[in-house]
Amino acid sequence: MRYLAIIPAFNEEDSICDVIEEIKISLPFSDILVVNDGSNDRTSEIAQESEVMVINHPYNLGYGAALQTGFRFAKMRGYNMLITMDADGQHVPSNATNLINTMQEQRADVVIGSRFINGGYRVGFIKKIGIWLFSFIAKRYTGITITDPTSGFQLLNRAAFSYLAEGDNYPLDYPDVNIIMLLHKKQFRIVESAVMMKEKNGKSMHSGLKPIFYIIKMFLSIVMVLVRKKEV
Amino acid sequence: MSLEFRLIISGCGILLFILVFALVRTNKLREELSISWFLIAIVMMIIAMADMIIDPIAFKLKISYPPALIFAIFIFFLVLAFLYFSVVISSLKSRVKELTQKIALLEFEMQDKYRKKND
Repeated sequence: MRYLAIIPAFNEEDSICDVIEEIKISLPFSDILVVNDGSNDRTSEIAQESEVMVINHPYNLGYGAALQTGFRFAKMRGYNMLITMDADGQHVPSNATNLINTMQEQRADVVIGSRFINGGYRVGFIKKIGIWLFSFIAKRYTGITITDPTSGFQLLNRAAFSYLAEGDNYPLDYPDVNIIMLLHKKQFRIVESAVMMKEKNGKSMHSGLKPIFYIIKMFLSIVMVLVRKKEV
Repeated sequence: MSLEFRLIISGCGILLFILVFALVRTNKLREELSISWFLIAIVMMIIAMADMIIDPIAFKLKISYPPALIFAIFIFFLVLAFLYFSVVISSLKSRVKELTQKIALLEFEMQDKYRKKND
């Protein structure tokens, strides 16, 4: 079984080295790929010095697109399992074993690492409402309780990531419940598993008017998943 | 409608037509993208002269100022043109993403081969 850990990174020179070293120690069986999404800092150089594989986007395409580049790479190189992790160091790599165990026990195609199953992780009020709302919609459609749909800490098997590697099956920006619903529609089995997460320090991806735009866009994406034909 | 108003509108139409034609001729605008602009120019030229159509319709719709109907029709065509361009931009965005990802992957493969050869 060949594992690949993918870390999409955009301007993460402060944390990338620690993240890589932690993965090397916690998941020695896994190869590591950093997808540098057009960073303006030394993210790429630092990752290369750590002797992991680095793919560079010539300019910033977006978080989702960087992950998809990783999916394509994994598909091309014949990996069986894919672990996705954020470059800001909020994920604890050793928790990936939880995800792997859950996948084996529950025969899942995708395991999402949730910071909320065991509680203990605080988020802002608006974000809480957003997560609750989208989780509710996902639950109505898929019947699965997803407590942390935006989690970047996931484990995907070859069938799942190969599907997401195709064309526009994966969004440019942030994957959310729309992808969970899409995977469910395509008969993939998705489950959640508890993971620990360190609270993020510094900037959040949502600020200013962006949350409103994001919520509208996500509603639209969800509606589109529902109305698109199965074959498409 | 006054003659001056009609002349101004159809004059604008002719001007737009010439401008679009010149842009296509000098390869600054692609043929397939120019069609919607040619259509708008032609609509502008015809509609300003088409009193017999515009005035009765405006009257039926209870528009007291018939040129307002002309503007409404223009705006509708413009909105259609913008929609078409948004479709084109969306498709370009997908293609640029595909290309960028492929280039990034190919660059990695190339460097990887080079490294292996040198080891």
